[in-house]
Amino acid sequence: MVMGATVSKLEKALGEQFPEGERYFGLENFGNTCYCNSVLQALYFCIPFREQLLEYYSNNKNVGEAEENLLTCLADLFNQINSSKKKTGVIAPKRFVQRVKKQNELFRSYMHQDAHEFLNFLLNELAEILEKEGNDVKDSPGPSSQTEMNVNGTVHLQDNGPKKEPLLTWIHKSFQGILTNETKCLRCETVTARDETFLDLSIDIEQNSSITSCLKNFSSTETLNAEDKFFCDKCCSLQEAQKRMKIKKPPSILVIHLKRFKYIEQLGRYKKLSYRVVFPLELKLSNTVENADSEYSLFAVVVHVGSGPNHGHYISLVKSHNHWLFFDDENVEMMDESNVQTFFGSAQEYSSNTDHGYILFYENLDGRN
Amino acid sequence: MASPSSSMNPPSPGLKTYFKTPEGRYKLQYEKTHPAGLLHYSHGKSVSQLTIAHLEEKQASQGPSAPSPPSSSSVVKSAAARLFVGVNGSKTFSHGGTNGGSKLASGTNKFGGTFGASTGSSSSPAVANYDVKGAYLVFNAGDTLFISDLNSQDKDPIKAIHFSGSNPLCHAFDSEAKDGHDLLIGLQSGDIYTVSLRQQLHDLGKRLVGAQHYNKDGAINNSRCSCVAWVPDGNGIFIVAHADGNLYVYEKNKDGAADPSFPVIKDPTQVTVAHARSSKSNPIIRWHICQGSINSMSFSADGVYLATVGRDGYLRVFEYSKEKLFCGGKSYYGALLCCAWSPDGKYILIGGEDDLVQIWSMEDRKIVAWGEGHNSWVSGVAFDSYWLAPSSDGSGEYSMYRFGSVGQDTQLLLWDLEIDEIAVTARYHPHGGSPTYSRGSTSAHWESVPPVGTLQPPPSMRDVPKLSPLAVHRVHVEPLSGLIFTKESIVTICRDGHIKIWARPRADDDNSDANSEAGGIVAAHASKDGRHAAAAPSARANGSGFKQQTASAFARN
Repeated sequence: MVMGATVSKLEKALGEQFPEGERYFGLENFGNTCYCNSVLQALYFCIPFREQLLEYYSNNKNVGEAEENLLTCLADLFNQINSSKKKTGVIAPKRFVQRVKKQNELFRSYMHQDAHEFLNFLLNELAEILEKEGNDVKDSPGPSSQTEMNVNGTVHLQDNGPKKEPLLTWIHKSFQGILTNETKCLRCETVTARDETFLDLSIDIEQNSSITSCLKNFSSTETLNAEDKFFCDKCCSLQEAQKRMKIKKPPSILVIHLKRFKYIEQLGRYKKLSYRVVFPLELKLSNTVENADSEYSLFAVVVHVGSGPNHGHYISLVKSHNHWLFFDDENVEMMDESNVQTFFGSAQEYSSNTDHGYILFYENLDGRN
Repeated sequence: MASPSSSMNPPSPGLKTYFKTPEGRYKLQYEKTHPAGLLHYSHGKSVSQLTIAHLEEKQASQGPSAPSPPSSSSVVKSAAARLFVGVNGSKTFSHGGTNGGSKLASGTNKFGGTFGASTGSSSSPAVANYDVKGAYLVFNAGDTLFISDLNSQDKDPIKAIHFSGSNPLCHAFDSEAKDGHDLLIGLQSGDIYTVSLRQQLHDLGKRLVGAQHYNKDGAINNSRCSCVAWVPDGNGIFIVAHADGNLYVYEKNKDGAADPSFPVIKDPTQVTVAHARSSKSNPIIRWHICQGSINSMSFSADGVYLATVGRDGYLRVFEYSKEKLFCGGKSYYGALLCCAWSPDGKYILIGGEDDLVQIWSMEDRKIVAWGEGHNSWVSGVAFDSYWLAPSSDGSGEYSMYRFGSVGQDTQLLLWDLEIDEIAVTARYHPHGGSPTYSRGSTSAHWESVPPVGTLQPPPSMRDVPKLSPLAVHRVHVEPLSGLIFTKESIVTICRDGHIKIWARPRADDDNSDANSEAGGIVAAHASKDGRHAAAAPSARANGSGFKQQTASAFARN
């Protein structure tokens, strides 16, 4: 590292405003691992996630030679950054990346990988490890919040059976939301609701639209007819029906994945959609069952750079202590908030601008005050 | 000004050249654009804005007013000012295109051209010999300010003014200007100029001529100029809003060399107004309004109120001369991008990153309705002050308003707002008649008029009556940035500086429209005689549509 004893450019730029206790570290790239680096930066600046992970680290560091897993590797990495004497610098997430490759052959090659797939894999993996550990230790703080999210009887709920709820880990508490899939039989008008959990929302995008509008489309009513009829339990037959997805429980960290990589049948391959999709720095969800007015604030964006799905680069934009930062592997720079808009996409195809917001991280502000 | 390339103006597939409204068809009349090759600006950084300037036939007698701006020696240091060193009186006076060689270079300035000289009174009598009367479109694109003739078929601008070093971002025209300076221009660098539009039209060069320069090199404030406005009946007083949340009041033609030394802003979240300590200072007043950019501002027609909207999502309405906050409130979420007053000053439209067009009532001091219909951010709003409410009885009281909005979804939307409906729904059925809404603070929205001087929290979705647009039309390929209603048309502009002029429906071709263009809802309403057709039946249709919207908004779970 060339940093030496000199103060980094970033430190100079921030000067007195450098947030106390905060660390801004670039991550070394081991050959196409930018998909991993960009996601890690976003997660590091997801404060509830970081705090939990650091807490996990300090609770487990004296447990002795516990078996290494993805969770311990990530906790080590976060701790390494957090406890660094220097405020800025570069860290090689070598052990973590090795662990990822060991665990999942998908990420083993040196090919360009999908950052969203990686995020999904990582969160699920971490949750699984925590669940396992939680089942071992019975006296962990129970999932008390689970009972509070009851439905207020407006929709007829399908009986989900006496299935034992899985342990709600801190991964779930941060990222998990519940979607409810309402299907209304057009004959007997019975509404059947089926709940499913999600850690992120993958949404279809349209040219010159906003995230607000894409989320609305995500929840828009769809008619099931012709080949695609719905089996109504009450009518005991296939019926025409209307279906819509609503958000029953909005997550505390809302991760939105823009489906920029679309399979084009005529081409027989995936194509990147460079559509201009604006995302506001603050957001409310219109498609919720309740709590419609709860507000989210954007704190990180994973950006895909490049014109195709099989190559390119990932970087991330992160908001930390009211400053925006730009993370490009080893490189960390300050960024003006107004530059976020240069990552919206292109209003027309074949534009020279190929840096497009791909995964958005919003945090719920309601818990704060 | 030949277009070197058509790459910026691809044919726009799927864009129709007309759209229908209850009163008839709006038809694409003219398109205005600019030479694509001139744009070397960084993508997305500068957004084209539009100003319409009406130049009257000017009498030769200009008041002897307008003190010649003192040309201080400090000027030459400024990089931006160097632009103007070559400007001298002689050019302005040369008639009949004899100054073909108007390549401005600092060296050729025989007359020792004082910077910013020959403004105002001295030049205008000569200038007035030209017939430049008419309506002009002033718009910025990249580093250039373009001027086009509103009423000509010519696509290309008649004038291009280059700025080196910084991009022009916002502008305003003062049709009441007492002296020659009527065009106000704000730059990315924070620099501000006033010039005479007439004088620019006479000059064949590509530089601003006869300009007065304020906030040179951003000496007082170096953040981007986000919006400029002339104070109504202000005798040349103008205001400039910046991206850092400050707004300055300037006096035209007053030299601003003096250091204004405004006090340090202690709490950036609070509104503070500070007057310059020195009487020589220009700007004379600084308003600190908010954290983050002031994105747009607008005076009420009588000049009593000033509305600002900004990055923090707040609309703020000030009593301008009292320098006091009168009322205001927060967007549903996200930044607000645009605002506009109703002609009677009773309502303000605001639009922004929540994709909504919201209607603020000055009487209720809160949001009384919002319009849902854009699929992206709302970047421009305006009332149609030329539109006559079908039911208006001539009492001067509006009961119905027509307004328009444009968005980053490339669409122009037209809306009707019927006040009675809202009033009834809002005031007498605060909970939509449903007991399920009586919990929490949400119902407080309609219970009282908030006290003067306070800001309202965001409205709750279930409290606000919703409007639906009466016309939706995709007008450009690029996101839109503004719209203006004129007597004859609606003018739209997109981010890249392409303009379309939509002629209003003509009474005589309504019939054919209704008959030829396969029925539909619109044709069904558009009966016999043009404007009046919009009156009873179709307007009612709109109104009732709105009523249903409102009802469903309240009934929604």
